[in-house]
Amino acid sequence: MTTVDSEILIQATDLVKDYPMGEGSYRALNGVDLTVRRGEFIAIMGPSGSGKSTLLHILGCLDTPSSGRYLLAGTPVHSLAPDELAGLRNREIGFIFQMFFLLPRSSAVENVELPLVYAKLPPSTRHHMALDALRFLNLETHAKHRPNQLSGGQRQQIAIARALVNKPSLILADEPTGNLDSVTSGNIMGLLKKLNEMGNTLILVTHEQDIAAYARRQVRIRDGKIVSDEVIRS
Amino acid sequence: MTSRRTEELFGFWGAVFELFRIALRAILSSKMRSFLTVLGIIIGVLAVVAVVSILQGVFASFLSQFESLGGDTLFVRPNYEMFKSHQEGVRRLKMTYEDALAIARDVSQVKEICPFLMRTDTIAYHGRNDSTQIIGTTESYPQINSFFPEQGRFLAPMDVAARRKVCIIGQDILDKLAMPLQSLGEEIQIGRGTYTVMGILEKKGGSFGQSEDDQIFIPLPTAIVQYGQDAANSIFIEVQVRDAQKMDDAVERISAVLRREHGLKFGDVDDFRVFTRDEILKIIKQFTSVSTLIVGAIVSITLIVGGIGIMNIMLVSVTERTREIGIRMAVGAKRIHILYQFLIESVTLSTLGGVVGLGCGTGVAHLTVFILRKTVSETFPAAFIPYWVVLLSLSFAALTGAIFGVYPAVKASRLDPIDALRYE
Ligand SMILES: Nc1ncnc2c1ncn2[C@@H]1O[C@H](COP(=O)(O)OP(=O)(O)OP(=O)(O)O)[C@@H](O)[C@H]1O
Ligand SMILES: [Mg+2]
Repeated sequence: MTTVDSEILIQATDLVKDYPMGEGSYRALNGVDLTVRRGEFIAIMGPSGSGKSTLLHILGCLDTPSSGRYLLAGTPVHSLAPDELAGLRNREIGFIFQMFFLLPRSSAVENVELPLVYAKLPPSTRHHMALDALRFLNLETHAKHRPNQLSGGQRQQIAIARALVNKPSLILADEPTGNLDSVTSGNIMGLLKKLNEMGNTLILVTHEQDIAAYARRQVRIRDGKIVSDEVIRS
Repeated sequence: MTSRRTEELFGFWGAVFELFRIALRAILSSKMRSFLTVLGIIIGVLAVVAVVSILQGVFASFLSQFESLGGDTLFVRPNYEMFKSHQEGVRRLKMTYEDALAIARDVSQVKEICPFLMRTDTIAYHGRNDSTQIIGTTESYPQINSFFPEQGRFLAPMDVAARRKVCIIGQDILDKLAMPLQSLGEEIQIGRGTYTVMGILEKKGGSFGQSEDDQIFIPLPTAIVQYGQDAANSIFIEVQVRDAQKMDDAVERISAVLRREHGLKFGDVDDFRVFTRDEILKIIKQFTSVSTLIVGAIVSITLIVGGIGIMNIMLVSVTERTREIGIRMAVGAKRIHILYQFLIESVTLSTLGGVVGLGCGTGVAHLTVFILRKTVSETFPAAFIPYWVVLLSLSFAALTGAIFGVYPAVKASRLDPIDALRYE
């Protein structure tokens, strides 16, 4: 690998995603090309149903494209089996969802530990790493709380801690502020911006212009195609 | 090096422990439902453990009874099995004191011979009434059965020859009739007759059904006088042979003598049966294997009924926890992790059910014995749980969980992460 190549984290070429629908199929992505370098902060925008989540799921190795090529840090993701994808998600990806997706019966720290469980780290190691992540978010006092004992913003912060804890190359967020009020949204976005400034690569899906404004590059998508891709100068 | 070792170790046992912890949490978070899920297994294991432990107790005491019967001893009784009903056999078959005397006279292998008859009768002493087993026999009884008097003496040849009204009583009789410890020479009422106590037997302890201490011995001819022709025709005979190696010879000779005495013609079926200890043990073993078969059937039904219950609830559980499965997959759980998670959950659940069933089964067995002792017989043998029953019932419970947990677990592991996350 050359030095120039190593800067490129994501190289997606002509991504197509077809969902089977009754007799035929529905094309949610229709030839998406995207290149992302390490350290970027990208907002993906577009109307509802345009294929933003579909694209993010493919980039996050949760799903595979129907056709096209997707290289993540040089790994050809499009040709991997489900368990290989799981391994890749575990090592390289941190996911943040609109609905938080925390385990309701587990405490905050246990939720943060979850990726490390599947990384087969010994309990004491992963407990320390999870507490470190919570401490970074000033949430260590809530480590023993269950999700239903936390506010929406706190829940999303726990989810962010979980996305960080395995030190992934790529953090993906699908409308992370969609269930939060504007003040809390601002806090969460500030946090994500800080993570980016620390060197993390971030891709964010959002409807809202002021959320997208935190990013340094905005990609607009419509009917499964990228219609604009511009770097914001601040 | 060392740290890599621990990590490798953690890899397997750590993962199992982790999944076990997750399973326990899921099980305990809905206790009532978990209980209902494994109810089938609990009841099945309970039934097996209760039945087996009671039967095992009975077998153990049965066997111990025949252990006192030496390898040189055989036992002859009428062949009741030739008739459709036992009653008909009792009415039509004859085995008499004379048969015993003929065997003693004509079979050289006989060392000791002891004819006896058994009756249940009322007994009384100073206004106290009760009932017990009366055994009419001869002076040979103690030698063959190794059962000796503690006070006084056993029946003497003269008691038998002169049809004396004397008796030897077991230890329990003293209690039953509230007799003084020094009861030699006392007179007690047995049915219509009055008998003088000549001896008190040593304590022998409980045995199958009837305690050997709850018996009274009287001379056989005296018993025949008291109980009449029916009794005279149903004598059982115990024989001790000179040489245990030549048991088969003795059985053959005794059969020949009895066929002659009973006037059987060539081709007639024996109207008596000769049992050696080996044969009795064989019968007990047969009985044991039949009951093992029955237990096996209960176990298989448990396996299926309990297993279906578990599969049913595990399927529901997988559906309810689709979101959880999606979350775990999203952060990197592989299919095998999800599969093992649900498999270990169902095995843990069913094994816990097995443990509960084992506990309850033990309780039920002891309770049953307690009730039987109060109602049927005070000396009903204690329930006995062999370690193989514990191992077997727990492993069957675990196996059930494993077998019927596979399908739900596979179903969970095959979920698509996106579909699982989207599941409402
Ligand atoms: N599993 C599926 N089966 C069939 N069609 C699907 C499936 N998932 C998504 N789609 C369709 O693909 C299209 C793109 O969906 P996607 O979720 O990517 O949209 P989106 O841009 O994230 O929209 P939103 O902003 O509302 O979240 C939609 O029209 C949707 O109906
Ligand atoms: Mg979406």
